[in-house]
Amino acid sequence: MPFALRLLDAWARLGWKAKIREDERNEEPHVSIIFKLWTWRLSLRTGEFLDSTPPPRNVPVELVEWIWSQRELLRARWDEKYPENVVFSKEDG
Amino acid sequence: MSVDMLLVADESTEEWADQGFPAASLRSDREVRDAYERFGTQRRPVMWIADAVSPLVALAEEGELLKSNHRLLLLDETTEVRKDLLHLLFRVVVAPGKGVNLLPMEELREVLASDERVDLFIAGIVDSASEVAVLYRGNLAPVVVPFAWFLRRDPSPRPNFRAFQITDYGQSVRFGKYEASTDAILYAHDPDYRRRAKARRLQQDDSLGACIHRLRLAKGVARGDFPGVSEKQIARIERGEISKVRAKTLAAIAARLEVDPSEIPSY
Repeated sequence: MPFALRLLDAWARLGWKAKIREDERNEEPHVSIIFKLWTWRLSLRTGEFLDSTPPPRNVPVELVEWIWSQRELLRARWDEKYPENVVFSKEDG
Repeated sequence: MSVDMLLVADESTEEWADQGFPAASLRSDREVRDAYERFGTQRRPVMWIADAVSPLVALAEEGELLKSNHRLLLLDETTEVRKDLLHLLFRVVVAPGKGVNLLPMEELREVLASDERVDLFIAGIVDSASEVAVLYRGNLAPVVVPFAWFLRRDPSPRPNFRAFQITDYGQSVRFGKYEASTDAILYAHDPDYRRRAKARRLQQDDSLGACIHRLRLAKGVARGDFPGVSEKQIARIERGEISKVRAKTLAAIAARLEVDPSEIPSY
């Protein structure tokens, strides 16, 4: 089952979602922030957006900050789903 | 003039047209026929959207017009006989029912009206006998994904292919409790999408090692699972510690990852 971060009601009601699905594009560990037709990938290592499109500025700053505040939970869920590509591996130092 | 989408408007889709849906509306049998004759020879496929199939079925029954390269999305269920008739005119015909899963109508309309529709799935069907899922993009171009692709990482939970659904405005594909992102599916199956996705990356290491690293993760292959190439060697190549990878080693890596060596830089 995809891990869906429980967002504050105000965001959820507008249709925002934050998910880690069983099959994400598996490169840098990330959480997918979804709103209607668009997805933004937020790195679980650095808290930065991975892609220039859709424009990161279209995600409310408060939402990004709230999601990032949950990073330890998100990192744990990512590591459970992707043990071959954990957020911080020994090799990465 | 080049046209991408045509809407055969009836009572239920009339409001689509009224609300600025970006497709030319055809409101009579005459307009449907004229449009088919006018755009039928257009090389670039036109996507037709129709709720009422009667004008199109009537056109097919005439048997005078040649099959086009066009694709037809029906919004309502229809009979197999009518679908067969419509295949006389259209290369692709997608209609709900008989195992075909369509996005919910409100989401479907938004996706079809958007510039992103080509990179979103709007419909699909699972063929258990062939063990494939056929997923249709927003321009009705099909993407055929073998079940094996969804199983390659031995995911937990495992996909239940009988419980198929397209969700999140076409951004997720669900098989029971398992969910895959459309982004991951297209990245794996469409080289053009992969190129565009790479161009969108803000900071990306485009070295050969980084490409091998991304490809290996995408395929779910462990570093220690490359016959003839040691785990340590793979790690050093991925970290860029080996600047010139020997052709024989690269061929072995590509073979294990089931790609041509020339494809590796596209990942």
